[in-house]
Amino acid sequence: SKTNAKKFTVTEGKHAKFRCYVTGKPKPEIVWKKDGENIVPGRRFLIFEDREGYYTLKVLYCKQQDTGLYICAASNALGNTLSAVQLSVKGPPVRFK
Amino acid sequence: EVAGAPGAPLDVHSLDANKDYVIISWKQPAVDGGSPILGYFVDRCEVGMTHWAQCNDTPVKFARFPVTGLVEGRSYVFRVRAVNKAGMSHPSRVSEPVDAMDPADRTRKGTSAPWTGQIIVTEEEPVEGVVPGRPCDLSVIEATKNYVVLSWKPPGDKGHEGVMYYVEKCVSGTDSWQRVNTEIPVKSPRFALFDLAEGKSYRFRVRCCNSAGVGEPSEPTEATTVGDKLDIPSAPGR
Repeated sequence: SKTNAKKFTVTEGKHAKFRCYVTGKPKPEIVWKKDGENIVPGRRFLIFEDREGYYTLKVLYCKQQDTGLYICAASNALGNTLSAVQLSVKGPPVRFK
Repeated sequence: EVAGAPGAPLDVHSLDANKDYVIISWKQPAVDGGSPILGYFVDRCEVGMTHWAQCNDTPVKFARFPVTGLVEGRSYVFRVRAVNKAGMSHPSRVSEPVDAMDPADRTRKGTSAPWTGQIIVTEEEPVEGVVPGRPCDLSVIEATKNYVVLSWKPPGDKGHEGVMYYVEKCVSGTDSWQRVNTEIPVKSPRFALFDLAEGKSYRFRVRCCNSAGVGEPSEPTEATTVGDKLDIPSAPGR
């Protein structure tokens, strides 16, 4: 649930990389979700399996509205499970003159 | 039973299996029914299901065929039918089950429910993406008039995430390269091509791509003639 999910903070304008190791046979199908909605890969959202075998979601040039609960959901014929993290995007430091 | 049809093909088995294709091979029937065998049809059935799907639209002449479009991790059985001008044979005996998975996964076989580790989030500085280099050691590992199978190695320079590939073909004697998988780049360093024109000669090359863009092509293969002969050129540099 939202309350016990680990929290991470990134700075607005930077990339956030989410890595999750998944096991299971047959190879599970992986879905990344944000606040319950499936994340569709696109210009700002990259989804891939990295060279070490981690399932990876990369959110490029984070905005404030990328703040939310991110889930990596895995399922195969034998069952399903998920891991969750809470991301917050903090604004860039205010500069005083 | 069609009078004059061939006997059923024999000894259907898999020569090579991975998550992208399974190469099925068989022996010709003991009897051709009195007229030459025109070709074969390969059928597949997922283990546990009852529906047989025909894999090739037109008969294949060679006694081997790469079956594509399989679901990774699932298990399939195969059978083959022979055809001559009189008609179709009975199906062969069914093959042993074959798993559509890479050999490394097969050795760790057994089933288990999924498990997901803690997600680790890291912040990265936006940098201009680096376009990946050329794939290496591209070679034709199978070639018949119905299909060609290509295999290659990823580019040597490490550190690029999510590298995928585009395959290109070129009719020999021309310099007009055409992308084969126009929509979706492939993830694995291999590809089975169909729909090549018989009698024509082709060269092939492969490009890497990632989120930063599409890289330079690999060295092209030697020309491969699409025909009844298994014409497999030697790998470059050998």
